[in-house]
Amino acid sequence: MSETAAKKRRARAPRGGILASPYLLLLPAAVALAAVSVYPLYYGFRASITHYLYGREFGTNGLTNYRIIWHDTFFRQAMITTAKYVVLTVSIETLLGLGLALLVSREIRFSGPIRVGLILPMTIAPVVVGVMWRLLYDSGVGVVDPLFQAFGLNPPEVLASNNSAFISVVLVDVWEWTPLIFLIVLAGLQSLPQEPLEAALVDGAGRLRLFFDHTLPLLRPVLLVAIVLRMIDAIGTFDQIYVLTQGGPGVSTQLISIYAYNTAFLFTQYGQAAAMLIALLAMVLLLMIVAVRMMRRVAV
Amino acid sequence: MTEDSGSIERGKAKGRGYTRRQVMARGALGTGAAFGLGPLLAACGSSGSSTTTTGGAASGSITIGSFTDPAMVPFRDVFLKKFTAETGIQAKWHETNYNQWYQNSKTDGLQKTGAYDIYVMDDNWVPEFAAGGIIQSMDKLGLKVNPDILEKGLDQGYWPPRSGPRLKAFANDAPQLYALVIIDDVEILYYNKDYFPTPPVTWDDIYNIAKTTKPPLYGWTARGVKGNPIMQTYLPLLNAYGGHFANDDWSPGFAGPEGVGALERLFQFIPYMPPGVASFDTSQETPVMLQGHATAMTEYTGTAHGVDDPKQSKVVGKIDFAATPKQVISGPAIGTFICGIASGAKNTPAAVKFLEWFTSEKVQKAFAETGSASVTGTALRDPAIAAKFRWLPAIADAVDNSIPKPRTPDEPKMEDLLGTALNEALVQAIQQKSGYTQIAQSHLTTAANQITAYLTQQGTYF
Amino acid sequence: MPRIALYSTLAAILGIAFFPFWWMLNTSFKQPVDIFAGATLYPHRPTTDNYHRLFNTYHFGSYLQNSVVIVTVSVAVSLVIGTLAAYALTRFRLRFGLNQSALVVALLVRMIPGILLVIPLYITLAKWGLLNTRLGLILIYSGLNTSFVIWMMQSFLAEIPRDIEEAAMVDGDSRLSALRRVVIPLAAPGLAATAIFSVIATYNDFLIALSLTSTPDAQTVPVGVSTLIGKIQIEFGPMAAAGVIGALPIVIFALLVQRHFVRGLTLGAVK
Repeated sequence: MSETAAKKRRARAPRGGILASPYLLLLPAAVALAAVSVYPLYYGFRASITHYLYGREFGTNGLTNYRIIWHDTFFRQAMITTAKYVVLTVSIETLLGLGLALLVSREIRFSGPIRVGLILPMTIAPVVVGVMWRLLYDSGVGVVDPLFQAFGLNPPEVLASNNSAFISVVLVDVWEWTPLIFLIVLAGLQSLPQEPLEAALVDGAGRLRLFFDHTLPLLRPVLLVAIVLRMIDAIGTFDQIYVLTQGGPGVSTQLISIYAYNTAFLFTQYGQAAAMLIALLAMVLLLMIVAVRMMRRVAV
Repeated sequence: MTEDSGSIERGKAKGRGYTRRQVMARGALGTGAAFGLGPLLAACGSSGSSTTTTGGAASGSITIGSFTDPAMVPFRDVFLKKFTAETGIQAKWHETNYNQWYQNSKTDGLQKTGAYDIYVMDDNWVPEFAAGGIIQSMDKLGLKVNPDILEKGLDQGYWPPRSGPRLKAFANDAPQLYALVIIDDVEILYYNKDYFPTPPVTWDDIYNIAKTTKPPLYGWTARGVKGNPIMQTYLPLLNAYGGHFANDDWSPGFAGPEGVGALERLFQFIPYMPPGVASFDTSQETPVMLQGHATAMTEYTGTAHGVDDPKQSKVVGKIDFAATPKQVISGPAIGTFICGIASGAKNTPAAVKFLEWFTSEKVQKAFAETGSASVTGTALRDPAIAAKFRWLPAIADAVDNSIPKPRTPDEPKMEDLLGTALNEALVQAIQQKSGYTQIAQSHLTTAANQITAYLTQQGTYF
Repeated sequence: MPRIALYSTLAAILGIAFFPFWWMLNTSFKQPVDIFAGATLYPHRPTTDNYHRLFNTYHFGSYLQNSVVIVTVSVAVSLVIGTLAAYALTRFRLRFGLNQSALVVALLVRMIPGILLVIPLYITLAKWGLLNTRLGLILIYSGLNTSFVIWMMQSFLAEIPRDIEEAAMVDGDSRLSALRRVVIPLAAPGLAATAIFSVIATYNDFLIALSLTSTPDAQTVPVGVSTLIGKIQIEFGPMAAAGVIGALPIVIFALLVQRHFVRGLTLGAVK
């Protein structure tokens, strides 16, 4: 809505005294949101154009930090790794979450406990999830290597080779976050109008046809919300990786968040780290705009 | 992040052509009101004499922060209480894991929050903490240094360094003591006497025994995780083969034949190392040794406490200690635990008193009697104590022969670049099982180029 | 799909969901020597030593206390201010396109990478002397949660017909008392779902708590858990026990409030 259009509309007069003025109701939230966004964003942007040496500021240096990260092969690598990670995890989670929701949405026994059981992984702190999986993957105390040996296979050295480490962290993410998609889709399924589905069944549509022709189109807005939420969070994944691999071996699991963290706190390059994150934020925003557009089109 | 004017700011100013006055004014604007001019000048490391004195009236309490490490256990559990009992000064202790403590102490120090009086540090943090004004010059505080402290250990606390290359901006500054060593940790060779009737001296000795091992017995166990851990595996090899992490002109000294040879030697152990070694850190590496599944490893001294503890070890009495193996020389990496006094410390006199007390002869002997790596020669070489803890004399020798890491605030970044390349090389070598020379050469050259590019970009070196 | 196949599929999936828990629980009750002595599905010589050490040497009592206080207060604060804002957004036509833009801003706050937040927040808290305090974390979490609360609550409140509260106001209630007496009870399931998700997100946060606290005076459970993941030494037993203690409160919480999970969402959030 444009500003002028908004101005033309008359705000409704508040009823019930000054305390109920809508702007006053908004004020505390506005202050709270501003405190954790406006100043940090301003600071982050300023830091991204500041020259730091060993943690000290030495004036602005224009776009130098951006130029440095543009030429930084580790940064590029981290972008690619993050993109791969987000696409892989979110698509697997969407498929599994959708499947699970369809499975459980039917009338089954023990549906309450089963649902809670399926949701539990997403309630656990990612740090703890990292600990759990480290205990499983570890070659000394874990269960993965003995499992392979039991089948007469060579132990895979899960976290010691590039591909298997990447797959391992993807699996952890899938384990933890499929429940979120499951939960959102399940809620969506339960609020679908039943009439068109029943009508289709009466017309003799098969289960598969029913799903693709009726259920899936109705679910699409819900799915999009779930996917967008998951993508925002997946792009910022930090905790489990910090616990499991610290980005290794090599740089095979080094996501942007890990590399930016190291750049800021290990190498004390606040300016470059801020530039990375501002660039990342810009890309996320772009992604969101595209997603919101898509959602609108779907909703119409 | 901070406006205080420390010595690095002066150094940078020289390089960029700021005048001293401009920089000082900027620093004074930010912090003059809060800290007063006296400490400001002291932090600048400029004016000849210091007016700060420690005085004898230390009292109250101090807060010490540290990373968690088995080597710190006696310090934490026994000696803090002892200090309180003898002086009446309360000593509070907070510990967290290594990475977190590095982040916490650094941000805490740059902001001078006063949450801590003493930071327990890894020695390679000293340049950054000293140059960044996070810790105070102990010379200026008048801290009395026990002359019996081993030279190589004490060296780690100086900024700019007393020997080796220096940052351009600090080329002409007089070295000052910024941190005091409290545990002389250094890498030593752990070997199982069942397989080595005589102490191994060279890398060939280790390799010849390794060749005879078959799983579940391994000839070598090591740390392979990228970054700092694999560096601890590589450095004793690199040093032994005559290479250098950094040359005296700051150029990388590991991409030549010495460094490549050292890495190839590590690769030759691949068939005789436990599976998953590329993801090993200390906590995976040492159990292999203590469960009796490895014939030898190089590791810091903290692990020595565990070798005779039946709760952790199945090889009680079988492990012995020696200097890290030679090729050209024996070159163990030194990694001391070292204490700095926070610039924001609330109780500097008591912090000084604590460090003087802990490094005194009497306390150091008592410290050695817990099997710990004391910092004085007399304590480490005391025959009565060495009879009980057979690794102590080996530590003293190793410290004397040790080779420090490059002394610069950029060392963590350099370590990360080389340590990432080493880990990638190891992973590739394990997969290919051949072409070791080429793998070593290409990854080391990449790391050398990356380090040179980074140091050039920092602008404080060449 | 035949019933038997359905139930065995579900059983297998539940098995996958639960096994990591079990393995952590199992490891946490093992003796140090047994942990490395080969994989066993249950501790053969169980011990509670690891738990004793958590509370005696590793300050887990303080971590738990801090977490409970910080989560309770910050979620309560953000529920109140977020609901008020959501109410204003759904019941009034505001100037400057605030009705839409406020939602976009709230979503934007959620998208800012945590690492970008921590340095400026650190400096601000340092200025106010709130570093390493519960209050500092409470303030920040209240702010961060508010964005989520506004999003959830505006969709729930939009579902509640205006006639009901207007009837109450005709009967003499002020707007705020109508909100309290009529609207909130109707929105209770949504409020519950919002509270649940806020509690989970706040309790589980790691990066912000990690960066803004440095001692057990204010450190929360996830930070406490991570202190045991040493670089130089990992004690797997206490680490596993710490994981169990870190997960337990939230698992219990989830079980207690399970009914509201799906129901709350069904009512509105995803429409």
